[in-house]
Amino acid sequence: MNFLQRVIIEPFESSYEKFLTFMPNFLTSLALLIVGIVLAAVLRIIFLRVFRAINLDKAAQRLGLFDMLIKGGIRDSLSAFIARIIGWLVIFTFAVVAVQTLKIPTVEHLLERFFLYLPNVFTAAVILLFGYLFSNFFGRAALIASVNAGIKRAGLVGRLVKITVFILSATMAMEQLGIGRDTVLIAFAIIFGGIVLALAIAFGFGGRGIARTYLQRTVGKEKEDRDERDDINPL
Amino acid sequence: MAGTAISREDVKARLAQIGEADILVGIPSYNNARSIGHVVRAVQAGLAKYFPDRKTVLVNSDGGSTDGTMDVVHETTIDDFRSILLSHRVESFSKIAIPYHGIPGKGSAFRTIFEIARALNVKACAVVDSDLRSITPEWIELLVKPVMDDGYDYVAPLYHRHKYDGTITNSIVYPLTRALYGKNVRQPIGGDFGFSGRLGRFYLSKDVWETDVARYGIDIWMTTTAIANDFRVCQAFLGAKIHDAKDPGADLSAMLYQVVGATFDLMEEYPDTWKKVTTAEAVPVFGFTYEVGLEPVSVNIQRMIDKFTLGTRELGALWENVLSPDTLDFLRQLADEPGNGFHIPDTVWVDIIYSFALAAHGSVLNKEHLLKSLTPLYIGRTASFVIEARESSGPEVEKKIENLCGVYEKLKPFLSDRWK
Repeated sequence: MNFLQRVIIEPFESSYEKFLTFMPNFLTSLALLIVGIVLAAVLRIIFLRVFRAINLDKAAQRLGLFDMLIKGGIRDSLSAFIARIIGWLVIFTFAVVAVQTLKIPTVEHLLERFFLYLPNVFTAAVILLFGYLFSNFFGRAALIASVNAGIKRAGLVGRLVKITVFILSATMAMEQLGIGRDTVLIAFAIIFGGIVLALAIAFGFGGRGIARTYLQRTVGKEKEDRDERDDINPL
Repeated sequence: MAGTAISREDVKARLAQIGEADILVGIPSYNNARSIGHVVRAVQAGLAKYFPDRKTVLVNSDGGSTDGTMDVVHETTIDDFRSILLSHRVESFSKIAIPYHGIPGKGSAFRTIFEIARALNVKACAVVDSDLRSITPEWIELLVKPVMDDGYDYVAPLYHRHKYDGTITNSIVYPLTRALYGKNVRQPIGGDFGFSGRLGRFYLSKDVWETDVARYGIDIWMTTTAIANDFRVCQAFLGAKIHDAKDPGADLSAMLYQVVGATFDLMEEYPDTWKKVTTAEAVPVFGFTYEVGLEPVSVNIQRMIDKFTLGTRELGALWENVLSPDTLDFLRQLADEPGNGFHIPDTVWVDIIYSFALAAHGSVLNKEHLLKSLTPLYIGRTASFVIEARESSGPEVEKKIENLCGVYEKLKPFLSDRWK
């Protein structure tokens, strides 16, 4: 009887007590999750209306964000996309609070580590977003300037500028995340050093003829301008 | 007025000394020591010859020249008035040369001129470029007399130009301004204008002096503001306009961005005015019209077509947000086979300009990118025009431009209906 009491009944009573202690936490956390879902839906509608009122989609189209969303397979407008993210953030926040309410030590420890890392993820995401915007902007500016200067490989120039700016921002983002900090930096330096060296060798050795022609043209630019320039005064 | 050029003590003292004046001629300048002496002499002679009984002032508004432009203005004078067949007494002629304050640009220079005109309570003003080689004393009469004697508020210039010159004016600014505002002002960005003291004060009352108007675009702004606000407008035939040699490195795309950008900005300001206009009316012309011998203009058509082809190939994707699919298809086809009768019809060109205006209005792209991406299309259109006008005389070319204006007017509903 004593044995039965110690092996079966006491553990069962202990588990039952734990279950009774856990149940209010569980119910509270469930309630929190439901409140979070409802609040998320309300906030999503409110923010969607605010974004539409301030013409956010128009600005997004101008900044190239619209193209970015389409390329990323997102068919929503930026307003709807951000409103949806806000909704999910609210649900996520309530879910985290709900999980903490359960008071499970392992989960609490994991959450703590996750929250300490979260600012880095956020900063890296912002860097990547701005990197994408800047790369589009400068790539387009370089493309247009190259076309107007009559450079035959204008598309290549535009793409190079765009990729360079994006790689720079990706490097910064990865550094922020602490992923292969030194490796990324060294790889970046090697790639750019390599490009510059390759250009220098190509221009100075492989492209002697081109270099000569270029210098002749530059030195004799005034004469060439006189010979080839259109005399049309556009204004 | 605090912080502007005329708040300086020495300028105030000079203005107090002059008191009031009837006529003011302004010359904006920046490093024009080589040519401004001729302009100052022509202005002084014109004022003395045609307005001897009026109190007159010449104002040089300088942008910080380092080549002694203002010294040239101070030192230049007509010593012997008999050389210009003038023997009568001249009422009074004063000269002011001051550096303007504010954002560097022709607009800021004009602002200083307007402020001095207001301070002196002048009846009529004129502004002329400082790099003019062809200015004569008669220009001053032609720009000022319609204001003094006939009650006009704004006198736009009219020049004889080579048939290939003024392509931005001929293919965009003139026909667009005419279609929008209904006044046939042939040189809306000529650079030499006459205007009344009343209009000068109206210009000053506008809050634009910290915007792009202060930098560039002042010419189209003055013309459009005068027309859109129902001031009395006329034109004066000035003969040929010959400048100092222009900078060969001047960036065409920057020029296009500035001029077309300013024109599109003004569309934002006066939509209610231009949407109502359906026809264009003639504007009176003063001056004796005559034929002028013009210097030949060399053109490299193949290079223009190459630039158009390159632009269409590389910027086609960008234009997908701006142009209709039909127009884009046409341009791509033309770029694929540019050799056989390269031609951009008027209807396509007007569709392009209206589509760019709508794209700028709708903020489809960064404005500078949008307007600079217009450059290859403009070059293509210029090549098409040069090919078309190769065998044409001056009057025949004018007829072609007149036809283009008709297309701008005919297709205007496309623009008005989509402008929300």
